[in-house]
Amino acid sequence: MNRFVRRRLGHAASLCTISLSVAMACGTSDGRTVLTVYSPHGKELLQHYELGFEASHPAVDVQWVDMGSQEVLDRLRAEKANPQADLWFGAPAEIFGRAATEGLLEPYTPTWADKVPADARDARAAWFGTYMTPEVIAYNTNAVTQAEAPKDWDDVLDPKWKGKVLIRDPIASGSMRAIFGAILARSVARTGSTAEGWEWLRRLDGNTKEYVLNPALLYQKLGREEGTITLYNMPDIATLEQRTKTPVGYVIPASGTPLLVDAIAIVKGAKHPDVARQYYEYVSSPAALRDAAVKFLRIPARTDIPIDSLPEVVKRASTDVKPMPGDQKLMRDSLDAWMKYWDANIRNSRRGK
Amino acid sequence: MILRRVRAAGWGVSATALGLLALLLWSVVYPNVAVIVGSFERGLADWKEFASSPADLDALRGTVIVAIGSVVAALLVGVPLAFLLTRTEFRGRRVLSGVATLPAALPPLVGVLAFLFLYGESGVVTRVVQRMLGMREPPWTLSGLTAVIFVHAYTMYVYVFLFVSAGLERYDTTLDEAATGLGASRALLLRRITLPLLTPSLAGAMLLVFMSALGSFSAPYVFGGGARVLSTQILVSKLNGALGLAYVETTVLAVTAVLALLLLRWLEGRRRYVMAGKGRITRSGLRSPVARALLPAFAAATVMLLVLPHAMVVLVSFARDGAWTTQLLPPEYTLDNYRQLAMDRELWRPITNSVWMSVLATAANAVVCFAIAYVVVLSQAPGRRMLALLAALPWAIPATAIALGLAATFDRNAPLQLRFLFVGTFWILPLAYFIRNIPIVTSAIEGSLRQMDPTLEDAARGLGASRWLALRRVVLPAARPGLVAGTMLAGVAAVGEFVASVVLYTHSNRPISVEILAQVRSLSFGTAAAYSVLLILLVLLITVGARWLEGRATQTEPTVNAA
Repeated sequence: MNRFVRRRLGHAASLCTISLSVAMACGTSDGRTVLTVYSPHGKELLQHYELGFEASHPAVDVQWVDMGSQEVLDRLRAEKANPQADLWFGAPAEIFGRAATEGLLEPYTPTWADKVPADARDARAAWFGTYMTPEVIAYNTNAVTQAEAPKDWDDVLDPKWKGKVLIRDPIASGSMRAIFGAILARSVARTGSTAEGWEWLRRLDGNTKEYVLNPALLYQKLGREEGTITLYNMPDIATLEQRTKTPVGYVIPASGTPLLVDAIAIVKGAKHPDVARQYYEYVSSPAALRDAAVKFLRIPARTDIPIDSLPEVVKRASTDVKPMPGDQKLMRDSLDAWMKYWDANIRNSRRGK
Repeated sequence: MILRRVRAAGWGVSATALGLLALLLWSVVYPNVAVIVGSFERGLADWKEFASSPADLDALRGTVIVAIGSVVAALLVGVPLAFLLTRTEFRGRRVLSGVATLPAALPPLVGVLAFLFLYGESGVVTRVVQRMLGMREPPWTLSGLTAVIFVHAYTMYVYVFLFVSAGLERYDTTLDEAATGLGASRALLLRRITLPLLTPSLAGAMLLVFMSALGSFSAPYVFGGGARVLSTQILVSKLNGALGLAYVETTVLAVTAVLALLLLRWLEGRRRYVMAGKGRITRSGLRSPVARALLPAFAAATVMLLVLPHAMVVLVSFARDGAWTTQLLPPEYTLDNYRQLAMDRELWRPITNSVWMSVLATAANAVVCFAIAYVVVLSQAPGRRMLALLAALPWAIPATAIALGLAATFDRNAPLQLRFLFVGTFWILPLAYFIRNIPIVTSAIEGSLRQMDPTLEDAARGLGASRWLALRRVVLPAARPGLVAGTMLAGVAAVGEFVASVVLYTHSNRPISVEILAQVRSLSFGTAAAYSVLLILLVLLITVGARWLEGRATQTEPTVNAA
């Protein structure tokens, strides 16, 4: 082939050859089994587990791809004929539920299956919960004092926050979908219809400064006071508070908050199902869950982790958080349609007006 | 006997032409047909939903506004700058013309991030203005369609500038002098001579800007929920699981683009003026002393504006992550971002991936596009007009549409339907890059071949050279300038490609642009900027390498150019 190319390209070929050899020299193929993990859990947590797992499994190379929960589902759908991922680590159970109905997951019953509450596991073992994630109201501590900060969901609609609320673009975000879904489910529970919920979301849109592409830009804009409050999940905000210089604090909404079950599952057609199961067990072992609680402020879904061994922030969350009332099944079944309606009719309907 | 030989060779060319036609039908047309078919999978339901959805109509409106706004903005910046640099002499002219094309070297996603850091609400320029004016609120916000058009004005004025400059190079200024001598006013001169002569350049440039703006993805993607355009709405629908709706949106976008292409081609063909003779330019100094005094200052300011985004990327690559909050400039600097890049074995993967994939795609482009150009320009093979049209098509079809088409077509193995499993494999991205770059490489080579006297090849054949020998010693040298320029542009585009990549990448072939986004996601703006700097260096390396090759080629082998 080289001669063919050379004849056609003349000197251009030499440039190609050089680049090719550079590319070959730098490629890493060290013969280890590659375990591919799709996850929204973020670089730090994933890197931590990667190192830990590789230390005890020297023949495995853990490769993770960090993306939004909804993006994972989209990818699994696209790659159905040729799955690239072995394991899906993290996303609200609602999204896992849809993947399971579409036949994208491989059932696996972990050794600790009976140690999680019933709503944190799939009846057919397609997925199991690893963390419980409460949603919170976060604020910039330089711009807003603790006393001024909104105490509950409805406070966020106060006109004084007009143009001050930053919202992570809800379409790709599991957290935002959960919050919006909870607001609508609450409306159905109270009034029997979603109308009140839509009005609530319309008023939120009116207070919204901007819909932000990804969490990083959200944190940055919050830190730089482009907006001063946002709605997001507790572990990510608490980690941001502890690990970076971003001036951020959060409030656990008084009336209750969606408590998401954050799950894990093996991808159907995974190329390395055995290694995937080992990793599954590794990240959900008591030691790893305690690690996640201490280092990344995740609340374990397993009930057999003694609460006293957990850090203060996590303990506080597990006592202060009241799960928001609402029909879980209704939420799971309607969320896609709700989000589509929101995108078409609510987004930008009052924002900036 | 001679007759028979020519006829036999004619069969060879015809077969090549048919083969190329089949290749383009399969790689360019087929995926788009699959999308159109997909949009009707649920009958008319998805089309009805599109027509009744306020979000989609909003996106359609946004797309058209962005495309037209970008054309106007690019003309407003590009035309005066081209006139200034080709017609007048002033201090700083050389520096300004040196950096005038710099925005083209800024990869799409990198440019958008640089703008965010400069002109975003908490950006450097914004805060400088805010403090100078003593305002409490930032003077502007960088969101919505205006922000997108603003970014486009910066990145796309280059097309207008290059086209109009080239038009002015061929322009004979003695015509102006003659007209003025005959008593024409400045306005009349502009209306009756300058504009008509520049029409082809202007139309070409406007078309290019319009197309690029129509399919633009990075700017609306990052400036987020504020701006709704079709290219991002496609991704929203897909993410939401509404694949049929995504296909409808893709079809609408692609059809709009192709219609615009046809319309502008028609406009372009309606009026045509030809310059007789070679261009002659007289650069004049300025008469007005005020303008003479102001021009260097204006030039300096423009140079600043043009260099600023690059400078910003370099600056952020040395900033410590997380430390920069409400200050004007990053308060702490570090080499950590580069150190991390050098230490982490995983961090090199995207760079080698991008280099590898763009080399593969560009090599395929060189071979295939040379063959296309040869058939179109130098042969009478059947179907060559069709071939020329198909080779231009990927230019009109926005990259998101191309990506979605590939994802819809090559997600399973069905050899009988000519479908092969590329989704989730390494090959999907080189294929996407190859398709996207067919028009640019083909048109570059065509340009060179059109300058060759076609009788040269016949002469070589008549003197007894075989077709291959004639091809190698006559056609290829004539095609070389276009081949080098075209592959260079293709290489640059492929190595920084983002739009198709973000839809189609897998972990094993993730390119630099996707990794930049991943770094931004994990709050590592410094690492993202360091990657961007490496990407800019890579682009520079390709450009300089191509120039060096071209210089060597012209030194060692005199090219055969008769015309």
